[in-house]
This record gives sequence, structure tokens and C-alpha cells, in this order.
Amino acid sequence: MTIERNQNNDIRTLVHDARGPLNRISMNAELVKLVLENDLPREKAVDALSKIIAACQDCSDKLQMISDSQKDNNH
Amino acid sequence: MLKVLLVDDDNEFTDVAYQIIEFLGHEVSVAGSLKEARQWLEHQQFDHILLDFMLPDGSGLHLIDELDLSTGKQTFITLITGHPSVKGMLAGLCGPNVNYLVKPLQREDIEEVLNRKSKKAVKKVSKALHFGCLIGESAPMQELYLMIERVAKTNANVMLMGESGVGKEVVAQAIHSASQCEGPLIATNCGALSKELIGSELFGHEKGAFTGAVGRKDGVFERAENGTLFLDEVTEMPLDMQPNLLRVLESKRVTRVGGTKEIDVNCRVVSATNRSVNELAESKVLREDVYFRLAVFPIDIPSLRQRKDDIPLLAEAFLNELNEENGTSFAWSKPQLTRLTDYDWPGNVRELRHAVHRAFIMSDPESSTIDLPSSFASPFASNSTSSNQISAGQTIENVEKELIRATLEKVNGSKTLAAEMLGISTKTLYNRLHAYGDFEE
Repeated sequence: MTIERNQNNDIRTLVHDARGPLNRISMNAELVKLVLENDLPREKAVDALSKIIAACQDCSDKLQMISDSQKDNNH
Repeated sequence: MLKVLLVDDDNEFTDVAYQIIEFLGHEVSVAGSLKEARQWLEHQQFDHILLDFMLPDGSGLHLIDELDLSTGKQTFITLITGHPSVKGMLAGLCGPNVNYLVKPLQREDIEEVLNRKSKKAVKKVSKALHFGCLIGESAPMQELYLMIERVAKTNANVMLMGESGVGKEVVAQAIHSASQCEGPLIATNCGALSKELIGSELFGHEKGAFTGAVGRKDGVFERAENGTLFLDEVTEMPLDMQPNLLRVLESKRVTRVGGTKEIDVNCRVVSATNRSVNELAESKVLREDVYFRLAVFPIDIPSLRQRKDDIPLLAEAFLNELNEENGTSFAWSKPQLTRLTDYDWPGNVRELRHAVHRAFIMSDPESSTIDLPSSFASPFASNSTSSNQISAGQTIENVEKELIRATLEKVNGSKTLAAEMLGISTKTLYNRLHAYGDFEE
């Protein structure tokens, strides 16, 4: 019972961690929208898009960790 | 404008959130930990704190407790959490001054928590603004935006031409904003200055240069250092002052009135006139050499009747502004917007803005329906229409055509009445209409 609770907590923490890069993706995408809607300097949008790409990779790594932890729990 | 403290240990998030919140018109300070947040709060009071739930040195909840004790002023707190499950836990805390947001956040979420009153209106207006100040999506405006974008990247002097009320100063502001220059935008109206004072206004003066010069004064060229100088109604500048202006434009140096030292100046000059190029050439109000220095990049700003599609957008924006200022919720009906669009607005955007303001004042604040006056015509409107219709350089045929069109419009299409007004026979009128083809029914 305690082991199961610990496993659930671990997953919750991993999901929480995955929201970090998701949050960066969302906010940087909002910034790109602002740049395009208001004709702000293009560089800002390019920079935000690079951050989105990096955060996607980060998010993917974190999802992989969730998947791996699930595998470990099943074994 | 709110003073916002953003507390989160994710630097990338705070970087981007900072830019977005700043764009929304608020002043932002950032803290990466509880310790840093406490340091900010020691010295400043904030209207709103966006607070991460889990920080490296403790929970954001600690800060809420401390705030209750330390501040007398009402501070609104939004807890940001990555755990939707925390929602339940926070429910007990959520008094009127505490709420929460769950990551990932969107701009709308932030707008909503920061501006609980009128978020929809703010969003609508900010979306419609180009360069932070121009409204319009019509083809002539898209062309104008492109020109502003292109010229903003250079340091070329710009001459804005267009009828009175088209928004020349707003376009100057747009060029200034798009240039992202370090200096300020300084505006001066050459038509509003007396012949005696214009030199002092433009180039500054030294103490004692003339009676009344009790101290030294910097001219607008100096004040616009590294920025933009907007010379409105530049064609109203006295001819004998223009060689001095030319010298500054060519040498990029000014000498204050009564001074001997030359001072380097660096600014883009955006000038404006409501005269057309033809008028400028004929009236000789502006020296040719000055014109070529000022109009390195001339921009024609379209009149409002050339971009009728933008009238509903502008009317909505002006009404939204008034609604926000006064806490009202007036809205246009479709027939009202059609009426506004059908009118020619000889006084352009300025006239439209005033008409909206007049209608706003006349409307019952308890209702959401706005009352438009039965007529928009103003004494100046008719003058400007007639003076704009005939200008040097037009062919006689075109002027005649325009005269017939205007007369027919005036008498609601009655050819007999039109012929009478024009002093020609109905047969001649028919012949002319037949020759032009355009008027054939």
C-alpha cells in the first residue's frame, strides 16, 4: 500500500515537472502571437520559437521519464 | 497600470512572462525565490503578486502569511501551480484576494487575473493596434504599415502628407515606435509658433539671447537626440527661417540663438503637411532644397473615405476606449455602423472620433444603445470637401465630371434639378453623362 502511494507521488512529481516546459512553450507561443499581431521586432519571435523547440525536447525527455518509471513499476 | 511582482524559479518562464505582462501595460519586478520576493516587498508595495507554489526555499504560501502581517495595502495574489490537485487545497485559501492558475499558462489567463474588469475590451483593442497605435486592416493601411516598417529600419527623414485629421502625428508615433530608437519623440507645430519664437523653439537659445531669455533653453533638435523630431505643419514655417532649418538638416549641427558653439544633433525628422505635392510646388511655401531634405521618404496617408472598411474598426475602438474610461457598455448596432461607413468623413479620423464622442455624451448612460445624431455634417466639413475636390493639376473634364456627380448626389439623382443647378439644359446634361459612361444607369 505504501509502495503504491510512493509510486503515485513519484508520477505526480514527474507530471508536475513536465508542466514546466509546457508552460514555457505556451508562454513563448503567446509571445510570438504578440510579436506578429503588433509588428514587434522579428528577432523576439525567432528567439521565442527557439525556446519553444528546446522546451519541446525537454518535455519529451520528461514524458520519457514518466514512461520509464511506469515500466519500472510494472517489473 | 499595475505594479506586479512575479515570483518563480523558472527563469525562462519569468523572462517571457515579464515581456508579456509589460506589453499588457504593467510594471513588473521578478524574484526567483522567497528570499528575493521578501527583499522586493521590503522596499515596495505591489498591486498583484504572481506566485509560484513551489519555490527553491519554501512554499509560496509562506509569503501569503507574511504579506497579511506586513502590508496594509490590498495586494491581490495569484498562485501559480503545476499541480491541478493543489486546486482543492487552495480552495480554502481563496478569499477575495487570492486565486490560482494552473500551468501551462496562456496570455488570456494572465490578462484575466490582472485585469478582472475589462479584459475583453482591452484584448480587442490591443489586437487591432498596429505599431501600438494605428487601427485599420484595409489595403491602403496595409500599404502604409509596410512603408512604416521599411522606413523605420533606416534613418531617413520622412514627410507625411495627407488631409487634415488623417492621423499624421499617430503615424509619426508609429515610425518612432517601430524604429526602436533610444531617444524620445519630440513634437512641435511649426504653424503654432510666432516668427520670433520659432528659431528658439527649433534650435534653442542661450541665456540673454533676447529680451525674456532668462535662462538657456535646448531646442527641439537637441531634445530629440537619438530619437524622432516631429515637425507638424512644416509648410507653415516662415520662408526666411527655412535656410536655418536646411543648414541643420544638412550639417546635423545646431547653433542656439545667441550662441556661437555648434552642437551635434542626431535625430530622424518626420515632418507633416496637409498640402499635396502639387500644392507644395505651386504655392512655394517650402523651399525646394528643404523639401528634398525633409521628404527623403514621402508617405501619403490615406483619407478615411479611401479606407471605408476601417470605419467600423475605428468606431468600435473609439467606443471601447470611452466605455473603459467611463465604465459603460455601449455597443454599435449594425445599421449604425453602416451609417458611419456611408458618410464621407471629410474631417477624417479626427472627425469620426469627435462624432463618436458626441454620440457617447448624448446617449443614456443607463442603456447600452448609443444614439447617433441625425446628421454628422460640420461647418468645416463642407469647406474641406469643396477645397479638396478641385485642385491644380486636374483636367477640366475631371472637374466637370466631379461637379456633375456632386450635383446629382445633392438632388438625389434628379437630372432636371441637377441641370437647373448647373445652368445647362437637361439634354446637355444627358449628353455629358452619356459621354462619361460612368453615370449611365
